[in-house]
Amino acid sequence: HMAEDSPELLQHVKFQSSNFENILTWDGKPESIPGTVYSVEYKMYGEPEWLAKVGCQQITQKSCNLTMETGNLTELYYARVTAISSGGWSATKMTERFNSLQHTTIKPPDVTCVPQVRSIQMIVHPTPTPVHTTDGHQLTLEEIFQDLFYRLELHVNHTYQMHLGGKQREFEFSGLTPDTEFLGSIVISVPTWSKESAPYVCRVKTLPDRTWT
Amino acid sequence: QGHEFRFGPCRVEGVALPSLWEAFRSLKDTVQAQDNITSIRLLRREVLQNVSDTESCHLIHDLLKFYLNTVFKNYHHKIAESNMLPSFSTLANNFVFIVSKLQPSQKNEMLSVSDRARRRFLMFKRAFKQLEIEAALTKAFGEVDILLTWMGRFY
Amino acid sequence: EVAALPAPQNLSVHSTNMKHLLMWSPVVLAEETVYYSVEYQGEYESLYTSHIWIPSKWCSLTEGPECDVSDDITATVPYNLRVRAILGSQTSAWSILEEPFNRNSTILTLPGMKVSKDGFHLVIELEDLGPQFEFLVVYWRKELVTKEHDKVVRRGGIPVPLETMEPGAPYCVKAQALVKAIGRNSAFSQEECVEVQGEALPLM
Repeated sequence: HMAEDSPELLQHVKFQSSNFENILTWDGKPESIPGTVYSVEYKMYGEPEWLAKVGCQQITQKSCNLTMETGNLTELYYARVTAISSGGWSATKMTERFNSLQHTTIKPPDVTCVPQVRSIQMIVHPTPTPVHTTDGHQLTLEEIFQDLFYRLELHVNHTYQMHLGGKQREFEFSGLTPDTEFLGSIVISVPTWSKESAPYVCRVKTLPDRTWT
Repeated sequence: QGHEFRFGPCRVEGVALPSLWEAFRSLKDTVQAQDNITSIRLLRREVLQNVSDTESCHLIHDLLKFYLNTVFKNYHHKIAESNMLPSFSTLANNFVFIVSKLQPSQKNEMLSVSDRARRRFLMFKRAFKQLEIEAALTKAFGEVDILLTWMGRFY
Repeated sequence: EVAALPAPQNLSVHSTNMKHLLMWSPVVLAEETVYYSVEYQGEYESLYTSHIWIPSKWCSLTEGPECDVSDDITATVPYNLRVRAILGSQTSAWSILEEPFNRNSTILTLPGMKVSKDGFHLVIELEDLGPQFEFLVVYWRKELVTKEHDKVVRRGGIPVPLETMEPGAPYCVKAQALVKAIGRNSAFSQEECVEVQGEALPLM
């Protein structure tokens, strides 16, 4: 029984990339066909052969982690999925041309908010990525994006916020009222690629002033 | 940071790279979807990798002129048929501006540098000529993101 | 025979702080509403595809005798602009701007700024002139004029703390607008000074 093409078996084959974690995802329709299995291949744009992704052959789930296979920032890639239903129907669909530098989104930064009596420190921790240099060094977002910087806001009250920004990792909002709650929000911004993360938010209270007690 | 390219000795101020990306992003999926030859890449590693600063001015000058005089010019009718003209115009006019600011050195001692840059460019041009013209135009236009990524290293 | 619809006259561009306004004399017809259509072509189009004109983003059909072409002018090269009048099914001839317009001729005004203090903080809020603008802010303690500090503020419209002030000592601020898309900047604004009340500590 030759497998015949039935495109509706497979839809929305695409990469979802976040902080350079590149996951291939797809939808199978209609859901009602049990026993459909999927096989994934990938290739570098400009290369002739498709390579089978080990670990994603004849699988039933609808995603496959291709981070390691698509990790070169200067290269572009394609992936394709072949779905075969228990009834012998099949469908193959390919992604658009993918490059993680262009397509990855940025997750909120990892920040420690440290309250003092009249100030709040915000320490942004470097963000490791799965990308490595040829000599094995694991790159951070800061090393990949030369113009990456942080934008910080401290909401003092409904109308007034304080703003800080820069490439350094330690920031301090000073001159604050003791024993008061503030809402801090920190985003990562990469202007050249027009990328901006969702904010990391911390709610923190300055310490009481005990100097005169 | 920002709005200035330094291709070795050649400085180009007054171009916002993010706006070129924004323009190309609105064209990219349409154009790249028309390129079915996934096994050929025109702007290959050998063309763009390990380009010295001094070479970069010569190479970008040749590439942008080729894109203006050959790729954009002959691909324009396809763009005109769709509603992508404003984005195409942004790319093309910024390439015109960049080329107008580039003055690759013609000094004798720079001959070996310009020769190396020229060989890289000819590698790209040969690959282009080996394809049927419509396929070559579509592929070259679809590779503007590779060009912009490489230009970003000098921004 | 229907009289030909007159073409708009006296085209000119008024450009300030990267906002480019194409203006023209309206075509006036009794009891009629005349509309206008604006198109542009950059240096590329005039060099390589001179027959191609691109409809303006905001004024492919507009009523007022002016059009904001800022979103059409996206490179620092000369642009041709043209307008025609439209009345029902009638269209006038095109009127073309006499001299091509280049955005590097825009007038850059002194940036509006508000200098204030928040507790001991010296705070500045600059006029929001849009995403193409950054600002160079220079500030100093009045008696230490030689010790200027500077800071690039990436956008206007938000208060930015500059420094923690010593009480009783005036601090002064001035700013200039930077437009990197054309590689130009405005002149510096007038300086503004503020002071936190209290006794000034002796200068070390």
